[in-house]
Amino acid sequence: MKPLFKLLKALMAGLVLMISAPAFAGGLGPDIPAPVKGDECVADTQEMRVNHMKYLKGHRDDVLRRGIRNKTYHLSECLECHVPAREEASQPTRADNEHFCMSCHAFTGVKVDCFSCHATMPEKSAAFHPIVTPAMQTLREVHQPPSAQLLNELAARGARDE
Amino acid sequence: MSDASLNNTSKTDLGRREFIGNGAKLAAGVSLAPGVMLYGVAHARPADQAVTDDVRWGMLIDTNKCAKGCDACVTGCQQENGWGPQSGNETKSNEYQAAQWIRKVDLRNTSTGSVHSLPMLCQHCEHPPCVDVCPTGASMKRADGIVLVDKHICIGCRYCMMACPYKARSFIHEPIVNPRTHAPRGMGTVESCTLCVHKLDAGEGTTACAEACNSAGHQAILVGDLKDPNSEIAKKVASVATTQVRADLGLNTGVRYRGI
Repeated sequence: MKPLFKLLKALMAGLVLMISAPAFAGGLGPDIPAPVKGDECVADTQEMRVNHMKYLKGHRDDVLRRGIRNKTYHLSECLECHVPAREEASQPTRADNEHFCMSCHAFTGVKVDCFSCHATMPEKSAAFHPIVTPAMQTLREVHQPPSAQLLNELAARGARDE
Repeated sequence: MSDASLNNTSKTDLGRREFIGNGAKLAAGVSLAPGVMLYGVAHARPADQAVTDDVRWGMLIDTNKCAKGCDACVTGCQQENGWGPQSGNETKSNEYQAAQWIRKVDLRNTSTGSVHSLPMLCQHCEHPPCVDVCPTGASMKRADGIVLVDKHICIGCRYCMMACPYKARSFIHEPIVNPRTHAPRGMGTVESCTLCVHKLDAGEGTTACAEACNSAGHQAILVGDLKDPNSEIAKKVASVATTQVRADLGLNTGVRYRGI
């Protein structure tokens, strides 16, 4: 019985590899667009991947019902960094897989309702982002390559680890 | 029924709890520097602090100043909140279906023939019928008196539209593209005037319609905190005769009119 089970397990593993191989053909995981600006997210990448929906949901009730408008988990603040502004030429739409949120949600097949009401992109590109401090800016200048590339590398590494 | 008894109907547990909470905050105070304490700053609410019923936002509309044929407040609201023909949305909706956060109404007294023009919008009632009838809790009143729709849980039944005596709410029939960042709008939900809650929360203390009215040179709309005795609106309401539309319903509206 036991050897048969082992064989079955090996077969299954092989099958999973075969199925997932085409999905990863163009690199590991979805092609997540790099942030437009900003050097650091409000939490680290892994944390945001797992829990961003909880933060957003908690924050939405705080804003609407209690008028608490701190910017940490504000959806529009997320978009501020992750999506080019409407005035910029390269802006994606919500149907587009190039949108930061939609690229991953399309890949994982999870429907996202936010954008049936909310704006998909910032209206104007703000000159200064609250999360980027002058100290961060100097750090950014010291560290090469640019942080966007670093973040993408981190994201890719995360996808490989999963 | 007297006004006083009406006002007491819904202020029971929550008010008391918030009062106790505020008492604690006030006792703690804000330490600016050693030995320097700052107690109770009227409108400087920090972004991470919830609104309380220490404030009640209201609006006073002077119909004597409101010009007939002028719709600056309507277009101002449309631009600010992204509705109306300029937004490029709701192209198929007819005039009875299209969004209507604020509209101009002309009143004519049939016996004297005098005509008044006034903007009609959500009256931000203290006892809002739209909140009473909502089956999901989406229609809600904030502690500072602003009546809003929580579109996250609105199922689009439109019961609130039926209940509103002021016909202040509208339903979105078509998909919306490119809504304003601060004013999300989506098909299948009900919406109405938000009293420019994003501006009030940002400490601007005014609304888009009031700003538009001022820049049109009429100064007919005054926005402020009815509970702050030093605010312009509270002083005005205390010194001149103002009326609520359908005062007989006992809703204690936050929007008041002068000259009708």
